[in-house]
Amino acid sequence: MFSLDSPRASQQARALVSQQGRNLHRVLLFGLAALGIAGALTAQTSGSSTSPPGQPTFEQLSADADSARRSGNLARASELYAQAVQINPAWPDGWWYLGQLRYGANDYAPAADAFTRYLGLVPNAAPATALRGLCEFELGEDEPSLRDLQRALSLGAAYDSRNRQILRYHEGLLLTKLGRFEEALTAYRYFAREHISNDELLLAVGLAALRIPQFPKDADPSQRDRIALAGNATFLLLSGDNPSASQAFQSFFQRYPSSANAHYTWGYLLYPTDQDAAIAEFQRELAIDPNNAIDHTMLAWALLMDSSPAEALPEAKKAAEEAPTLPMAQLSLGRALLETGDVNSATALLEKALALDPGNLEIHIALARAYSESGREDDARRERHACLRLTQPTSKPAPAMGQQGAQTAQ
Amino acid sequence: MLAVAASAAIAAAQTPSASDSSCAGCHRGQARQPETPMAHALELPGANPVLAAHSTLTFHNGAYTWTVETHNNQSVYKVTDGTSTLSVPIHWSFGAQAQTWVFEQDGKFYESIVSFYPSAGNLGITTGDEQLTPQTLQEAMGRELTPMDVKLCFGCHSSDAVASHKLTLGTLHPGVTCAHCHQGALDHASDAAAGDFSTAPPRLQDLTSESLSNFCGQCHRSWETVVRNRWRGVFDVRFQPYRLANSRCFNGTDPRIGCIACHDPHKDLIRNEASYDSKCLACHAPSARPTSTGKARTCPTATSKCVSCHMPKISLPGNYLRFTDHQIRVVHPGQPFPN
Repeated sequence: MFSLDSPRASQQARALVSQQGRNLHRVLLFGLAALGIAGALTAQTSGSSTSPPGQPTFEQLSADADSARRSGNLARASELYAQAVQINPAWPDGWWYLGQLRYGANDYAPAADAFTRYLGLVPNAAPATALRGLCEFELGEDEPSLRDLQRALSLGAAYDSRNRQILRYHEGLLLTKLGRFEEALTAYRYFAREHISNDELLLAVGLAALRIPQFPKDADPSQRDRIALAGNATFLLLSGDNPSASQAFQSFFQRYPSSANAHYTWGYLLYPTDQDAAIAEFQRELAIDPNNAIDHTMLAWALLMDSSPAEALPEAKKAAEEAPTLPMAQLSLGRALLETGDVNSATALLEKALALDPGNLEIHIALARAYSESGREDDARRERHACLRLTQPTSKPAPAMGQQGAQTAQ
Repeated sequence: MLAVAASAAIAAAQTPSASDSSCAGCHRGQARQPETPMAHALELPGANPVLAAHSTLTFHNGAYTWTVETHNNQSVYKVTDGTSTLSVPIHWSFGAQAQTWVFEQDGKFYESIVSFYPSAGNLGITTGDEQLTPQTLQEAMGRELTPMDVKLCFGCHSSDAVASHKLTLGTLHPGVTCAHCHQGALDHASDAAAGDFSTAPPRLQDLTSESLSNFCGQCHRSWETVVRNRWRGVFDVRFQPYRLANSRCFNGTDPRIGCIACHDPHKDLIRNEASYDSKCLACHAPSARPTSTGKARTCPTATSKCVSCHMPKISLPGNYLRFTDHQIRVVHPGQPFPN
């Protein structure tokens, strides 16, 4: 099993990605050749390979670099590739191997730069995007890293099970660190379904479950047991083993009765199949932390979906007060107002929420209804069309309820 | 053998609603609602004309054979793989015409994999389960329902089955009764008997077309429910509020396009196509009042049986059911199902 914190396993993970990356790279080059673009690249390569008299030519450097790499002299290969791409910056293979070699030497900033240059030449290369994301991860550039890893996933970098593990795990870590806990749980669901687990993964899941925006290596040692227990219970629930999860959560609550956010997460994960149980958990969370904005939001939402807008309204008001920039809180309040008859206030709030999170399906749905209720049929139709576009089979999945921030927009 | 038994308490509570007869005393125009299919959306043993009329039903698919046998008003649902057989007594029959059964076992609920279809006069795969390939006899018997599914099933097909967000089968009345839609109807009935009419439930006919679409859509599936669940494809034709809201002529504040503009839920569905002409012509006649977006166009082809062209009947693939498409539109030959 890979591990972010274990150098040995981390190297293994990198090696897996690198190996896979080479394979994909070959596939990619083959594809380009088939399209007749390889010839153009070669021509570009040949045309820009001049070097000053007395200096090695690009052809010599590239041949020597390949030879050094094949013979295992990686430091020399790295040096030669760097020289070769200086002479010919349009040589994709040079940047690719340079990136890999720098990455393998834990030299992440130059590695990321090499992959950036490579991606400038081959924009949709999944392996290079993934590796740049992993470089950025090591450099602490969380948002660019997440962006690259998710793009790599969407480009197909995770078709291999081992790569999928590496990418999903890092995605989960980053989403947690960035406070996008529900999305992190979705990333970790892959491991639960595949029954892939170890202590560190459970700790990572626990951090997302308890909404602690940290990497496992940064977790407070005195809190590790609590976090890991929450992670284990959540992992069981993600795997679909509800009876064991229920038992694990009960044990957790016996030991840590006032631990914040665990009831919320349990409720959140129960919500798609058991709304009543979810509502009860959201209410238990509020008994621990009456000011938990995301919990008020989800409780309001669950009540709205259960056709209880009058009950939802006070919860939604609290959520919106506590988290004025949380689009879901504004959405819940907007919907609660809409369904209790205050269409004008609802419309204003929903428009504000949409400005915060323009791709949020639920906000478009609510606005379609608000406009329709107030006779603004053209606006209603526009919002309905937006919803239908967002839910086309080829579009991305809808944002999970409770997701925070505009960055979660789908 | 898998045994299922409803408790005596549940059985005792599942008598016809007392509210309907008291409502009919004053609301005579709605007095025949208990005869409608909606009022029979759930049937209990002894009151199930579908099964009473078909004493033996069978269906074979793959490795399994399903049978529903009815004797002395008691029906038993069986599935066999030729070696072993599971059988359960049928207690909850969902649907007044096509019929699907729900079973309870060890606190879990299951929906039958096969259903009765009137047009076939026999059993067929339950709509929506066509892709299921049961691997065990238990799986062939029924699809396990989530707690939310169960609440939705009973919440729509019966009355008083959900209270305070909880499933309360002990208070269930089969089918859609007055109080199912008209909240507070029971209190109103007793208050009205004492001369107090101040507690009458809100008038649903005062709702906007948009609100009404969402109200009826609680069971018939609202536009947003379908969109949220990303249900796409021809099977969506079953969800009339969704289809209607996709119509170009849908207007959330124009009562001429609301559900009850065409349908009276207190009466049987009218199947005579010409009877809906006046509803269409309320907007599409030369003399009709304009809509909020202008004068509605008149049809260059005909002025009668509008729905026969503009609301075509759609057969579900691999299924025995046909539905009227409520996405009102100009239908072009060969055009794919708009969705």
